[in-house]
Amino acid sequence: MRIDSPAGKIGSRGSRIRIGRGLLRRYGMTLVFLALVAFMLATKSQFGTYQNISNVLAQNSIIGIIACGMTFAIIVGGFDLSVGAVAALSSVVGATLMIDMDVLSIPIGIAGALLACLFVGVVNGLLIAYLGVNPFVSTLGTMTVVRGLIYVATNATPRFGVPYGFTTLGLGKLLGIPIPAIIFMIVALLLGFVLHKTRFGHYIYAVGGNAVAASEMGVNARRVRFAVYVLVSGCAALAGIILIGQTASATPQAALGYELTAIAAVIVGGAALGGGSGRMWGTIVGVFLLGVIANALNLFGVSPFWQPVATGLILIVAVALDGYSGRGEFVSR
Amino acid sequence: MTAEISGAGKRGDPAPSGAALRAASINKSYGAVVALHDVSMNLLPGEITGLVGDNGAGKSTLVKIISGVLRRDAGHIEFDGAPVNFGSPAEARASGIETVYQDLALVGNLTVWANLYLGRELTVGPRYLNILDKQRMSSNTHEMLKQFQINVPPMEAPVETLSGGQRQVISIARAAAWGSRLIVMDEPTAALGVAETRAVEEVILSLRQRGLSLLVISHNLDQIFRITDRIWVLRRGRMIGQRVTKETLPDEIVSMITGASAGVSGTH
Repeated sequence: MRIDSPAGKIGSRGSRIRIGRGLLRRYGMTLVFLALVAFMLATKSQFGTYQNISNVLAQNSIIGIIACGMTFAIIVGGFDLSVGAVAALSSVVGATLMIDMDVLSIPIGIAGALLACLFVGVVNGLLIAYLGVNPFVSTLGTMTVVRGLIYVATNATPRFGVPYGFTTLGLGKLLGIPIPAIIFMIVALLLGFVLHKTRFGHYIYAVGGNAVAASEMGVNARRVRFAVYVLVSGCAALAGIILIGQTASATPQAALGYELTAIAAVIVGGAALGGGSGRMWGTIVGVFLLGVIANALNLFGVSPFWQPVATGLILIVAVALDGYSGRGEFVSR
Repeated sequence: MTAEISGAGKRGDPAPSGAALRAASINKSYGAVVALHDVSMNLLPGEITGLVGDNGAGKSTLVKIISGVLRRDAGHIEFDGAPVNFGSPAEARASGIETVYQDLALVGNLTVWANLYLGRELTVGPRYLNILDKQRMSSNTHEMLKQFQINVPPMEAPVETLSGGQRQVISIARAAAWGSRLIVMDEPTAALGVAETRAVEEVILSLRQRGLSLLVISHNLDQIFRITDRIWVLRRGRMIGQRVTKETLPDEIVSMITGASAGVSGTH
């Protein structure tokens, strides 16, 4: 015991430094975001207007909802490339049913969209959790198959005629706040609660950190992974339903590239692609950081083609800074 | 001897204490390779039993059968007087046999308390919500670790930030925490320095003081002689014999392990 003391002290001091770093890591991006907002408020009077703020909120809520689900997938040690295609599937299936059904068209449309997307989530979950297929390969596969099937079924042509009332969901406002933003807020709160307060959320960090150890201690790692991929598809389905509300149509090309934007937002928000770390708050900040930068470029009259360039650079800088601050250190065991 | 052992552990004792384990004629093969051949071993309640043998002698296979990771092909095992045949580590755990894995089974990014409660989390509030009771787990963990260490690591520290010895103690404390009666340890100090090895040995000895039974695999004969009460020797899948630690010498154990000198083949 006497001998244990020095080792113990060194360990504690080390961990105190690491905890300090952890705080910076956890809230560093929030500070960057606040600085950006302050800069914009100071330099562009347009930025602070109600119209602009509510635009930013509405435009980023769909990506935000997808990113909330993606946070789970990345913390559990994977990711899901099929979310864009799944959101499009939701939008096409949902809108088509809404257009073609004579009675109860909206509930049937929503239910059909959810079912189709959850089916894709179940396939992803089975492939990744139970057959051990790499998440990159399996979700790249489902992404390609789903998008292909959408094009086959629709001949890549949009269809219009969704009941007008449904656009309230995508374009309406409640107490002056865009409804998609309210839905995003509810999803983020709900999933944040699940991730940070419940046993299921706890197991996502455990499986993402060390699936072997978690299994040895009785955590059903397969079931956790499976549930995560179903949940991610559920979020994509919801995003697709809101897309119907914004376009009032079945759009086969909807949500193209959303998967990469959502992954970028989660990573910028502080999650590590290796799994085991990340927070819901970070994802929200990541979503709006990318969103406000796009908005800023727009307000300064920069060509929209620069926007992906900015997103990519932020992603690289965020991850590089993070590697520098020590997140690159994995447990060597 | 057998009769005396199988009667020793009383089932349903209110206070958990060490229990006896009797393994008889255990056989295990991997395809054509015989890993264990008619192996028998007895663990006495409240004793630290050492299991030694060369690489490939079958130590790990025997320990994995006892802890439920592997199933035996033939033979029988009695734990605490009752026949057992574990299909999984969870079943072994439910009977009171805990294993400290060589990789420690710790999740590096989780906090100290989260690792101690991994797979057994406490919850509050409505059952269907499964909300973690972080405060209770954290303070209970602090109490548990205080029994073993002077410097308890901060409860909110991820275990990957702790030293190897601190991690080992967390893993052992976890094994001892859930009313377990036999703790199986595979090379508990293999990755540790001298000072940390001593500290972990202190922890192991303190578990015996509490009356728990322990089974320790180690390559380190000095350590085996420092902490065990009894030593069993495996060689090429056969149990060569056992010695009471106080009544033998390292040379004799070495010759039993290697089969070098005649005349010491066992009492078995």
